[in-house]
Amino acid sequence: MTSKGRFSRLAATACVLLLGGVGWCLAAQPATEALPTTKAQPATVQPAAVLPTDPAAKSSAAVPDRGPGVPDPLVQTFRDRNGSIFEGWKKPRALVVVTGELDGYIEPCGCTGKENQKGGLSRRQNFLRALAAADWPVVAVDVGGQVKRFGRQSEIKFQSIADGLRTMHYAAVGFGPGDLRLPAEELVAAVAPVGDQPTPFVSANVGLLGLDANITPRFRVVEAGGLRFGIVSVLGDTEARQVRNDAIEIVPAAQAVESAAAELKKAKCAHQILLSWATPEETQALAARFPQFDIVVTAGGADEPPAELPTLPGGARLVELGHKGMFAVVVAFFDDPQAPLRTQRVPLDARWGEAADMIRLLGTYQGQLESLGLTGLGLAAVRHPTGRRFAGSAACADCHQHAYTVWKDTPHATALATLEEQKPSRDGDPECLSCHVVGWAPQRFEPFEGGFSGIKSTPHLAHQGCENCHGPAAAHAAVERGDVRASVTERDRLRGEVTMTIATPEGKQRAINNCLGCHDLDNSPQFDFDTYWPQVEHGEKGK
Amino acid sequence: MAMRLPSAWVVTAFAACLGAAVGGGVATLEAASRPWRAGDFKVNVAQISGPSPQVDVPETQYAFGTVGVGATGSHEFVIRNTGVAALELTKGATSCTCTVSDFEETEGGSTATRVVPPGESTKLRVQWRGKGEGGSFRQQAGVLTNDPRRPQIAFVVEGTVVPTYRTVPAALTLPKHSSGNSVQATVRIFTFGSEPATVDSLTLSDEKTAQLFSLASAPLDAADLVEQAGATGGLLITVDIRPGLPLGPLRQTIKVVFRMPEEVAVEIPVEGSVTGDIAIAGKAWDSSNEVISLGSVSSRTGREAHLFLTAKGPHRKTVMPVVREVVPESLRVEIGEGKEVGSGAVIRFPILITIPSGSPPANHLCSPQAPAGKIVLETGHPDTPILTIPVCVTIDP
Repeated sequence: MTSKGRFSRLAATACVLLLGGVGWCLAAQPATEALPTTKAQPATVQPAAVLPTDPAAKSSAAVPDRGPGVPDPLVQTFRDRNGSIFEGWKKPRALVVVTGELDGYIEPCGCTGKENQKGGLSRRQNFLRALAAADWPVVAVDVGGQVKRFGRQSEIKFQSIADGLRTMHYAAVGFGPGDLRLPAEELVAAVAPVGDQPTPFVSANVGLLGLDANITPRFRVVEAGGLRFGIVSVLGDTEARQVRNDAIEIVPAAQAVESAAAELKKAKCAHQILLSWATPEETQALAARFPQFDIVVTAGGADEPPAELPTLPGGARLVELGHKGMFAVVVAFFDDPQAPLRTQRVPLDARWGEAADMIRLLGTYQGQLESLGLTGLGLAAVRHPTGRRFAGSAACADCHQHAYTVWKDTPHATALATLEEQKPSRDGDPECLSCHVVGWAPQRFEPFEGGFSGIKSTPHLAHQGCENCHGPAAAHAAVERGDVRASVTERDRLRGEVTMTIATPEGKQRAINNCLGCHDLDNSPQFDFDTYWPQVEHGEKGK
Repeated sequence: MAMRLPSAWVVTAFAACLGAAVGGGVATLEAASRPWRAGDFKVNVAQISGPSPQVDVPETQYAFGTVGVGATGSHEFVIRNTGVAALELTKGATSCTCTVSDFEETEGGSTATRVVPPGESTKLRVQWRGKGEGGSFRQQAGVLTNDPRRPQIAFVVEGTVVPTYRTVPAALTLPKHSSGNSVQATVRIFTFGSEPATVDSLTLSDEKTAQLFSLASAPLDAADLVEQAGATGGLLITVDIRPGLPLGPLRQTIKVVFRMPEEVAVEIPVEGSVTGDIAIAGKAWDSSNEVISLGSVSSRTGREAHLFLTAKGPHRKTVMPVVREVVPESLRVEIGEGKEVGSGAVIRFPILITIPSGSPPANHLCSPQAPAGKIVLETGHPDTPILTIPVCVTIDP
């Protein structure tokens, strides 16, 4: 036997031993890599805060399946529509409530009737209160993504949502890419601790004004039901590359998780939770690399989460949340060895009712928008693509009596009133106004020059009027009234500018595209031109 | 004495067994110590007495792969009754109008309800249409049953909707952009058709700032396409912004018109705010009114507030803030050492404002009767050598 042969045999033995130990060992050991420039601080454990509940709100139901005072028939309606909640459940030892991807939907838009829509902070609060009223120990976490847009309104909205999440006693909230497009200086103010309550925001790899500024902790350890939970939140590397914000430092997600995980290990947590604002693929790669996480939350899935949580190869549960904060997902731990874990997708529908404190918060938010006004919100009017100005729907009535009469009987003619009637009213909210008045860009939420600027200054441009489809008609109306003299050619040209037809495929497509500016998937998911058009049809001479 | 070594195969087999035993043992230990990771757990929720229907569904989930935006597809789910009483099925809610569900039509029957005799089966047809901007798609159709063990069943269809094109990012955002800085950004337009995209025009909506923008386009590299599943080509739009943007909100739109071969017009908003190079951040900073708001403070307890001053732009390294004046005089302001944030484009300075206990009463509540206090800083920045920060505070006895 040569030494080379012996070496080969020993090497084979070592290799097979290594392979035999296989996946578990490989998967269980976190890979090593350079640590972040600034390390996570040691863990301090805090009890998960318990929401105060009104003794009268204690539910008589076997399980917390509704908001306070919501009657059986309403609960049954939404049970049939969106499924049962906690059916057959007993009190868990502790449960993790996961939310996220609110996408700016601080409350449902209400365009198709709020009762037909899911989501909103108010229902979410009542859901958490129902759990607290049933004495179910809760750890509430949010993957982030509170807003999607940019501008002063989004800054105020983010602040309001952060205030709401504090009131709901969230244990940990991550950052989404939309959040991090806001100025860091605004984020610092929004996420700062209030009084003795620490910031709910947590991120292992995102540092507002730099990671070493320590404005938010890298991870959090909380206790609920006698169980200790460690929570780490990261922004995925692909999303991080899209964030152009010099005042925010972002390090690679895996590097940051590794550093935080080392501290969590010392904290001897019963369960570890990873909040990963990344694609499901990137999140799963992190979960494979760090198998100590029992609950792995991802962003970027489909519009609604799966009814059953997938189990990842290492045994962790993958939580998808859907979009617009329409669902919460519950992962509950039980002492029952036959069923130590159960999960529940919770649609935040009308069975949860409305929470008074969140409605007040929404009222404050709407009040801030109104008091700042369009100027304070940085909404300078932009030039209409045609360069023309608006006349208001009443100006059309003199000549187009039939069309005007039809319009007056449609919901378009009272569009602004529907915003005023909301509770709280939303007639100062540019995101709503843009489709409820004349002269705004519906998808940009900004006014055109000469468009609606307020009910006192431009009452003639209230509601969803003629010119939002036909185009600005001030010059056309002035010529027809005789206020301005024009040649026949010029008069006909101006008439041509505001004439529409659906008699040709191109004309119909133009009309449909125009409708879709407001009747989009968010606000009018059932929109179909051929179904909706007969309800507003007002053509003249077959046009 | 010569020792006889075992053959390589024996060693290999022994090692494999040992390794598997160790691995399996550890996995068993793992299952015992973390039982919640061991699999799915089902709990019986109803005890059945008497004859009853029993619903049996071979599949409740169907993956359709990919569809284009606007394209439709459908799938039939089978529902069997393996019980001894009639199974009553009622169409429940679908999660969105993208999905509709109907029971197979029967003579004189309804497509919304169905009674399945024992031993028989029916089919539920679920249709979907790829809507929206593309991406992951999941919808479900609910069915209510009179089987007490399974009163509801959710049939799920999922897959990917492939769009015509996708813009990444959908908008360029420049939060608190320094007017003195230049910036380069890129946007990728991924296309999913069979023809390569060719650019017709690249234009800007706002003529007032257009002269500060330069736009260029190039085909996307094949390596870039990996990021978007199903992408067949695309465009890289490069945007260069020169210094000199006016202070205030930034609202510009890049309009890209290209053919693939049909004409497509894409608008890419460029949004943000153009600000001076020095900013304040912190809980006590009221950005709407641009004041430090300390509120009502008891002289007995005093108060501390932590803020930051940030400096950006080409002169950021010259910024060395020094306190020159404070009103009320009892206010103590300490400015810490400047530190670079991330890549160094921003420098932050911590500011600690202290109202010591025992401070004399003062009223600077930012009203006509009680004008604001102030902190005056000498900054070292050539464009803003002196920075006066209003302070709203009352110190109560």
